[in-house]
Amino acid sequence: MKHLSDQELMSIVQAGDFAPASEIYDRYSSRIYNFAYRFLKNSEAAEDATQEVFVKMLKHAGQFHGGAKLSTWLFSITANWCRDYLRKAENRSKDGEDVLITLPAPAELSPERHLERREDEQRIQKALTLLSPDQREAILLSRYQGLSYAEIAQISGCSEGAVKTRVFRAMEVLKKALTGDARGGDRCLTAIP
Amino acid sequence: MPDCDSMRENMPLLLTESLDPARRELTHQHIETCPMCVAEWSAYKETWSILDTLPELDVPARVKQRFLAEVSPAVTPNVVPFRRRSAPRWLAQAAAAVIIAGGAFYGGHRMTPRVELTPTPATLVNVQPAPFYSIAESRVLPAASISPQIEGRPDIQNVQFTDASPSNDQIGVSFDITSHVTVTGRPTDKSMVRLLRYVLENEDKQSPSRSRAIDWVRSTYAHVGNPDPEITEALANVLRNDDNQGVRIKAADTLRSLQSTMTDGTRDALVEALKNDPNPAVRLKAVEALAKLARSGGNMDPDMVDTLRKKASQGDENVYVRVKAAEALSSIQPK
Ligand SMILES: [Zn+2]
Repeated sequence: MKHLSDQELMSIVQAGDFAPASEIYDRYSSRIYNFAYRFLKNSEAAEDATQEVFVKMLKHAGQFHGGAKLSTWLFSITANWCRDYLRKAENRSKDGEDVLITLPAPAELSPERHLERREDEQRIQKALTLLSPDQREAILLSRYQGLSYAEIAQISGCSEGAVKTRVFRAMEVLKKALTGDARGGDRCLTAIP
Repeated sequence: MPDCDSMRENMPLLLTESLDPARRELTHQHIETCPMCVAEWSAYKETWSILDTLPELDVPARVKQRFLAEVSPAVTPNVVPFRRRSAPRWLAQAAAAVIIAGGAFYGGHRMTPRVELTPTPATLVNVQPAPFYSIAESRVLPAASISPQIEGRPDIQNVQFTDASPSNDQIGVSFDITSHVTVTGRPTDKSMVRLLRYVLENEDKQSPSRSRAIDWVRSTYAHVGNPDPEITEALANVLRNDDNQGVRIKAADTLRSLQSTMTDGTRDALVEALKNDPNPAVRLKAVEALAKLARSGGNMDPDMVDTLRKKASQGDENVYVRVKAAEALSSIQPK
């Protein structure tokens, strides 16, 4: 099954045989989980997202067109799930912030270096929360998933021009938060929605 | 004079190397001449590389268990690790000695008639050495029985690979000429190596299976210490010649993972890709492979060092390519 393309696996699923479920999960779960985790900043929600995205993929396999990229389709489902989650979360009382997952220190890192890295991670994760959900979605898909603006537009249901603006605005906010840079002057300040 | 705002909107696209050449040029020109934007650009690059330090998290194993449990029983009976029903070794040996004479064949398509094999003592192989067959002319079975020389230019299609699993030292390559053929053998068998080389270098350039061929070679030879240099040379040729950037990226990445047998030719192909490939992702994979070679104190030459030096300081090069080139250099210099 490892040798089959995404399209081939999906056509098996579309024919009603779920045998490729495990293989498709192995190919994409890490990307889905990381996206959801960084988007929602909540590990439990990211786990739910990952599980439910793959269940949806099986249930709605008929909607997948062979011409499309499976990754784009899966990210569309994921982004929808995450937006939905945020909407519902807004209606709930504000929960406490999720605790960042502690990663085991890679062997070559000194404890100081490891601490530094963890601080970096928290700083970036915090900076990401300064973004609007649209901007966060765009920057996560562009920076970490390597998707093109055309693919992101498809996933986010907007124009490529809108993606360009979202990524740009996100970068303005992140730049300010991460480099303490105010050189952008007035443009930089007005860029924050 | 284009306005600064629209130039800045282009900066993220510049970082992902996804601007068209005309706008890329225009933006670079503007940045060079505008003091506000030059500062902005360096802050963008800095931000972009800070973002790179965000680690990738592992998905907890329970998520997959929950997923599979949720979709069972529809799935569970089928979700077993994929493994081709593998022929015991005696079967392969028997095949080498016995089957081909009749022109019958097995494996490959499910539709192909199966020939029942009866166990044959392994010694028979020694007593009756299998004749060599050329796949250019005939249907052939075990790699041991085909000539390492592929004659002519057989038009191979519908290439399929089976079982690159480390738990079984047999692999198979199937393809159509006038009939469907399966050649089985160890990844180290010269005939198998030649066949794979032929597939990598000659399969239809438009075919998506080119990319799969590389995946398969990678997973197969990941378990083989020092793969035959012909395999890496074939990958180097793909890296040099393929029109498809995705295929070139895979070829470079696979060379990085297999580089225990890096020859001068494969190293030169990587250096060439780093110098001239129009796609930054290919250049990045090439420089990563060279960095690994440098770290391992492998087979380097002045052109490689020179290219790394140029790339590390080339202002308009992708920032990751530059960083990797610098890393590679720093691992060479102590020597
Ligand atoms: Zn300017």
